[in-house]
Amino acid sequence: MHITVNGEANELDEADVNLARLLEIKRVESPEMIAVQLNGEFVDMESYPSIYLKAGDDVEFLYFMGGGSR
Amino acid sequence: MTGFSTFAVHGDHPLGKSAHGALRPPVYDSVAFEHESAEDINQIFTGRKPGHAYSRITNPTVAEFESRVKLLSGSSAVIAVSSGMAAISNILLALAGSGTNIVTSRHLFGNTLSLIEKTLRPWGLEVRYVSMANPQEILAAIDNNTRAVFLETMTNPQLEVADIGAIAGIASAKGVPLVVDNTVTTPYLFRSRDFGVNIEVLSSTKYISGGATSVGGLIIDNGNFDWRRSPRLEDWASKMGPLALLGILRREVYRNLGSCLAPHHAYLHTLGLETMSLRIEKSCANAMAISHFLRQHEKVAEVNYPGLQDSRYNKIAALQFGNRFGGILTFDLQSRDACFTLINTLTLIRRASNVNDNKTLVLHPASTIFCEYSDKELAEMNIRPTMIRLSVGIEDSNDIIHDLEKGLAAL
Repeated sequence: MHITVNGEANELDEADVNLARLLEIKRVESPEMIAVQLNGEFVDMESYPSIYLKAGDDVEFLYFMGGGSR
Repeated sequence: MTGFSTFAVHGDHPLGKSAHGALRPPVYDSVAFEHESAEDINQIFTGRKPGHAYSRITNPTVAEFESRVKLLSGSSAVIAVSSGMAAISNILLALAGSGTNIVTSRHLFGNTLSLIEKTLRPWGLEVRYVSMANPQEILAAIDNNTRAVFLETMTNPQLEVADIGAIAGIASAKGVPLVVDNTVTTPYLFRSRDFGVNIEVLSSTKYISGGATSVGGLIIDNGNFDWRRSPRLEDWASKMGPLALLGILRREVYRNLGSCLAPHHAYLHTLGLETMSLRIEKSCANAMAISHFLRQHEKVAEVNYPGLQDSRYNKIAALQFGNRFGGILTFDLQSRDACFTLINTLTLIRRASNVNDNKTLVLHPASTIFCEYSDKELAEMNIRPTMIRLSVGIEDSNDIIHDLEKGLAAL
C-alpha cells in the first residue's frame, strides 16, 4: 500500500496497518512527544490503534523538542 | 519510584544511558548543532525529525531541565524561559491580543502589574481587575472576549490565598483557561493540575534555582484545556490538538521573542531541583517560627503569614499547599522610618530584592519594588509604608530571630 509519511513516499508491505503500528514501523523516537496529522487533521493519541491507513493517506509526525508533550 | 524528591534527584533516566556514565548531564553551551545533510536539517526545522538546531529554540541542557520539571509537575508540556516575567509575557501574548481581555487581581507582583498596565495595555489588551476572594466577581467579569484568568497562588507581598479550585471551576465553565503563577509555592507545595489549573508559570529564579544562582522561568501546560475553545489557538488546535499551546509557543511566540533560557542557567536550575524540597521545608518551618516570634513582640504592630491560625487564609492555604505556608511573611511597624531603622540595623539578614533565596532577605516593598506607584495606587494594592517583607531562608531560625531582636531593640 502506498502512503506518504513526512512528505516521502512509502510502500507498506503489511496489511491492516494502524497509526500505532506505523509509529513502530517508522521507528519514531519518543512517540509521546509528537503530534500526528492524518491528511492534514490532528489525530488524538488514544485513537492511534483504531485508525487504519488506506492507500494515498498523507501522515505527518511533528516533533516538539524540549519538555515534550503529553 | 514515586516520590517528588526521588524524581527530583534521579529524573527518569534509564540506568547507563548517559555519556561516559556521567551521573550529571553535561552542559551543552553551544549555539548551533550540526547535521548530516541538508535534508536532515530541513526535517528538523519542519518538526518532522527530532533534533536540536539552534539554542534560541531548543537546547539539550535546557530540554533536560524541562523534562525534569515535566516529571515533577505531572504536566503535559514544559517550556523553560529566560525569567518569570518572560513566562508571563509569553503566555499572555500566546493567549490574548488587541481587543481581548484578561481577568486578574490588582494584587499582583509589581512587575506583572507593570507588564499588563504599561506594556500590554497600550497594544490593546483590556485588563479587568476583580477580587480573587469573590468568585462571583470573576464570573461577572468574564465575557466572550476574555482569553485568560490570571492569578498568583499567594500574592506577593499581600500573601493572599485564593480558593483556586473554585476559580478553576468558574473559568472552566466559561471556557477560559486559568493561568496561575506558582512561583512562591512551586509544584512541590502546589500541584496545580489537581486543582484544575490549566497553565502554570513560575520564576525558577526563586526556590528552583537553588539559592538565587541564576535567572529563569517556566511555562507548564497541564494538558487539561481544550484549545479549540481559545480563539487565538483555534488553528493550532486543529493541527496539533492538545499540543496547540506548545506549538504556538515553540514555533511562534517563544521563538520570536527570543525568550530562551541559557544552557548554563538550565544546568544550575536542574541542580537546584534536586534539593528544592529540603530547602522549601526548612524555609517554611523557619517562616512559621519567625512569625510566632514577631507577633508576640511589643514593637510589631501586625504580622501577616498564612501559617498563623488566625490568618483568614490559613485554612485554604493548608488545603492547597499541604500544610506548608511558604517562606515569605510581612510585618508592620509604627512608621516608614521605623522600617528603615530596623532594616539598617540587621547584620545577618540581607537587604536585597528577591524571594526564596537560601539567605533570609529583607525589603521595604513600598519604596522598592512598588516605587513606581502613587500613594493612591499603593493603597489600592494594600502596600503599606509601614510594611516590611521578609523572605525567610534556610539558616538556623534562632540566628534569624536574634538578628530581628537586635533590629527591634534599636527602635
